[in-house]
Amino acid sequence: MFSSLKRHCVADRLPRAFLVMVVLLAPGLTTAELQGLSEHELSEIDGAGIGVVLENFVFSHGTDTPDADGNQARIFKIGGLKSTDGRDVEIVVNHLYISGAGSNYGQSLSPVNLGRLVNPYRIDVVDGNEIGISDRAVLEFAAPALVDATQGFDCMSSGAQAGTGTCASRPATSDFVGERPDIGMQMNVAVGDDRSANISIHAKSAVIDGSFLRLWGDDDRRQMVGQFKLNFQTPELSINACSQDGLSCGSRITMTNFALELAIGNQLQPVFFDVDGTGNFVVEVAAIEPPAPGAIGADGLRGSSDTETWDFYEDYYTNPDYRSNLHIGNFSVADRDFGSARVEGMLIQHLDIRTKDLAP
Amino acid sequence: MKGRHCRAVLTTLVMCGAAQATAELDRLNDRDLSDISGQGGIYLSGDISINEMGGPIENSYFGRCDDPDKKCGARLAYRLKEDGGWMVLDEIRGNFSFEGLTLRVRTIDSGFGGDGELFSRDVMEIGLPNVVRYNDVRFKIAGSNLPRPTAPGFRQTDILAVEMQGEVIMEGNLLVFPAGNP
Repeated sequence: MFSSLKRHCVADRLPRAFLVMVVLLAPGLTTAELQGLSEHELSEIDGAGIGVVLENFVFSHGTDTPDADGNQARIFKIGGLKSTDGRDVEIVVNHLYISGAGSNYGQSLSPVNLGRLVNPYRIDVVDGNEIGISDRAVLEFAAPALVDATQGFDCMSSGAQAGTGTCASRPATSDFVGERPDIGMQMNVAVGDDRSANISIHAKSAVIDGSFLRLWGDDDRRQMVGQFKLNFQTPELSINACSQDGLSCGSRITMTNFALELAIGNQLQPVFFDVDGTGNFVVEVAAIEPPAPGAIGADGLRGSSDTETWDFYEDYYTNPDYRSNLHIGNFSVADRDFGSARVEGMLIQHLDIRTKDLAP
Repeated sequence: MKGRHCRAVLTTLVMCGAAQATAELDRLNDRDLSDISGQGGIYLSGDISINEMGGPIENSYFGRCDDPDKKCGARLAYRLKEDGGWMVLDEIRGNFSFEGLTLRVRTIDSGFGGDGELFSRDVMEIGLPNVVRYNDVRFKIAGSNLPRPTAPGFRQTDILAVEMQGEVIMEGNLLVFPAGNP
């Protein structure tokens, strides 16, 4: 190189050579500033959605009477409904709350976190190919994802330690509010002038980890479709009826270790939403297509059937992700125990819900 | 002659002044700069009304709220299926007010039961206002066959109506940040 430079100098072409060298060197310097990403590093990168965490959150709404200082009553009313005999139905939510653990059925509210910074509630557009919905971008609203049982917390126990279960949300401890809220609602259902029905529902230390709502578009029906999964677990779910002032209550129905896994719609049978020509709302889960004639052998075995078709139906009928389950550890009314209850493996094969106008 | 001297002195002074000012400014190196973060924030108090008296449109369907024959709330219709009916949020009206909604960027590197240390990033923090006052907030959820209530052949079925009044306790912080797919 030096010899060539010397030759250039002799030939009085130094300025041009110098320029060429600078131009050649400059990109080299720039490249040195940027670092290459390995395949492994690249695979870690994913499209970012929005993570949402509520910190020290308390929510409380509603009481139908003015407070002790005579301030205006809080009202949260759901109306416009009619009973089958044509009377107006009005639901007055007397109290709706989200609070930290130990709220004593909403009496003493304390802060709670919802979602974890390392596993938050997410709003995201996800690649459908990764979740079994081919070639679709899917809008997903998701609660904290379930984690490996070696890292997670038992979903029921309010004293769970790490490594005991699949829930990411942690129960409250003496020095941390935790991510499992007490939620509850007290409501008065008035049918016409009859305001006697006063119902309270309370869930302690509730967890909805692994729940999600996915929405996307269906090409064939040109319609919005969805998939909804609710995992709701609580060590105690109670229902009771009280007098309207809430002072005297009837027997409390208590369900301990309550776990509901509800799957409405799946990749093969999504939920369709629509409004019909008369302005009524329609929710539909279409039945799965029957196999083509002859695709499944007369004896129903894989050997005598079209294997691809047989495997499809085998997966549909055995996949636990498509099924809903309900577990109740113990069901009791006041001091009477009725033991545990389990309803397992419910599969929605066809569902068609239509609202109906009862107005004359 | 005297005037020209004065001008020369003034010019020198101005130049010296500038030189002194430059001497007062210190360069920040990359390391010092990296320690500086925005400390700004926003504090909001608000009183928001939607169609409290009635919207701007007055026709055969919409009108003032004191006219019992007219609808006075805002209307939002959306369709879920091509050639299908419309989901409607109708008669949206009322007033809500809050004091002390805060907005800032916050670095979290501790707390949250040990998650803060693992997280160690910036989030957008929306400080909830503790109390939100609702004054006669109402809306209806309905389904209709056509988007515009003034169109011929319009049919609508109200499914339910919601009414809210009074103070709602809403404490805490809403933290928003980018999150990848886990």
